[in-house]
This record gives sequence, structure tokens and C-alpha cells, in this order.
Amino acid sequence: MNDTSPIAQRRKAACTAFLQRVREVHGSGPMTASSLSKIKGLLLDLAARRELFPDADFALPDAQGRSHMLDDAANDGYGLYLTVNLPGKEAAPHDHGIWCLNAGLSGLEEQRFWRRTDDGKKQGFATIEQIDEAIVKEGTAISMLDHDIHSTLVVGTAPSRCLALYGYALNRFPEVLFFHPQFSSVRACASKRGPGRLQAAQA
Amino acid sequence: MPRTRRYKITVGNAGKTIPCTSDQTILVAAITAGIDYPYACATGNCATCISRLEAGMVDLLPHGDGALSRKQEDAGLTLACRARPRSDVKIAWL
Repeated sequence: MNDTSPIAQRRKAACTAFLQRVREVHGSGPMTASSLSKIKGLLLDLAARRELFPDADFALPDAQGRSHMLDDAANDGYGLYLTVNLPGKEAAPHDHGIWCLNAGLSGLEEQRFWRRTDDGKKQGFATIEQIDEAIVKEGTAISMLDHDIHSTLVVGTAPSRCLALYGYALNRFPEVLFFHPQFSSVRACASKRGPGRLQAAQA
Repeated sequence: MPRTRRYKITVGNAGKTIPCTSDQTILVAAITAGIDYPYACATGNCATCISRLEAGMVDLLPHGDGALSRKQEDAGLTLACRARPRSDVKIAWL
């Protein structure tokens, strides 16, 4: 990513201002649906400034998916990224453990939303059912609260480019739970913040 | 439409050889065979199932740069959740 060009400087300023507004809307407590909805509007406004995010400044992945950090706020703040994913790149249904937003810049990303249907008492076992779906593309966005479950798949023939905002930076992420309907299983990606929910349940 | 082929996958950690078709990932074949192969995302994002490809050839489904770099792939590592066999394979999770 080119960090020294005039566009990069304007992008940095825009991202800094955006995160300041996010902090003001969020406040200090847990994220609420109302605040998240407002922040979604802010992220859409940022994504609409397409000239700040030229494709040439954000390399395609070596494989099929890459996240370019736009702003990793200090002191355990939010994580703002530009993600580039190629057609076919997917993520199984997962619960980030933290709220997130995704706004499209270009391409098509299919988002499916799920609900857990078991009681969570059997270790490693889970059942889920799909409750909604959406396509993230230019001019659209989706939002999820802390334990919402979604899966993603890049569809079409072009790379999907999105702005993604998380409650924590990716390198300070909590445990992420992945659900696999074909095996009725749930598996955890280890927390980068200490013991996670499945680890705590095993203790 | 290419014909589905059947291969043998030897999972070193489990000391088992299992069947796997060319349109199936090694992870799915292993779980189906009752092997407790480590995994989490199973879609090429987290690298929990990162493995050493000890023999044989695989094709990789789409995955993230952070899960398996080209350097790791060149060094003989693979992702069981993304790897579909193109020959008989010997593999071991790390």
C-alpha cells in the first residue's frame, strides 16, 4: 500500500476523522443496535469516497484473500481494513465475538446470516439455521452485533473490495467460533485476548 | 465435467489411510473417517489445520494470505481444509 501519496494522506485523514466519529457515536459502553446503525451510515459515507481507495493502492492477495490495515487504533481500539477477496473466497458461518461492519466498494460478496438452534451445552456440537442473506456491493453495507453469526462467499467474476470495521483490531481479536452444519460442529479459533468461551467451558 | 477420482490419504498423526475423492477436501475425508483432525474455520482463513504434505499432489481451494503464504506452500505446507487430492497423499498436521 502506498502511504506517501497525496491520496494516501487524504485517506489517512478521512479514516482518522471517521474513527473519531465512531468513538463519539459508540461512547464507552457495549455497542448497541442503534449506535451500530449510525456507524453503518458513517462507513457507507466513507466508502462512497471511492477516490480515496484506488485499486492500485491495495494489492491483490497472493492467494485469494487479504486485509489491508487502514487504521489500527492504539490502546486497544477499533480495527479498520480494506479487504480484497477473489471470487470463490469464503468463510464458514462464524461468530466474531465482537461487532463488525462491512461496506462494499466493488465486486459482490454474498453474506448469509445464521442463528444457533442448539442449547450450546454439548462440547463441540452446534446446529444453526439460516435466517437471512444479503449481497454486499458498492453502496451497501451490513452490520453485526457481538455474537451474530454470518458466512461469506465472493460471487461473480471480479474481486470483492470492502471496508471492514471491527470492534477490535484483527491482531487483538477475541475467540472466533466457526460453525459447520455438515458436521453439526463448532470449533474455536484461539482468542488473542486470553482464554475463550470454549476454553473456559472446558476448564 | 471432469471425472471424480478416488485417492488414498495417509494421515501420519492418526496412523490411518482413508479414501478421498478428487472433489473432497482432505479435512472432510478425515472427519468423515472419524479422525480428530484439528480444524476451526475449515475455509482457509485460520490455519488451524495447517499440515505438512509429505507426499503426493493437491489442489488448493481459495484461502487467505494469512492462513498459508506462498513461502509456506513452497516449503511443503498445506491447508487440509482447502486441499483436494490429485494423487495418493501422505499428510500430517503440525
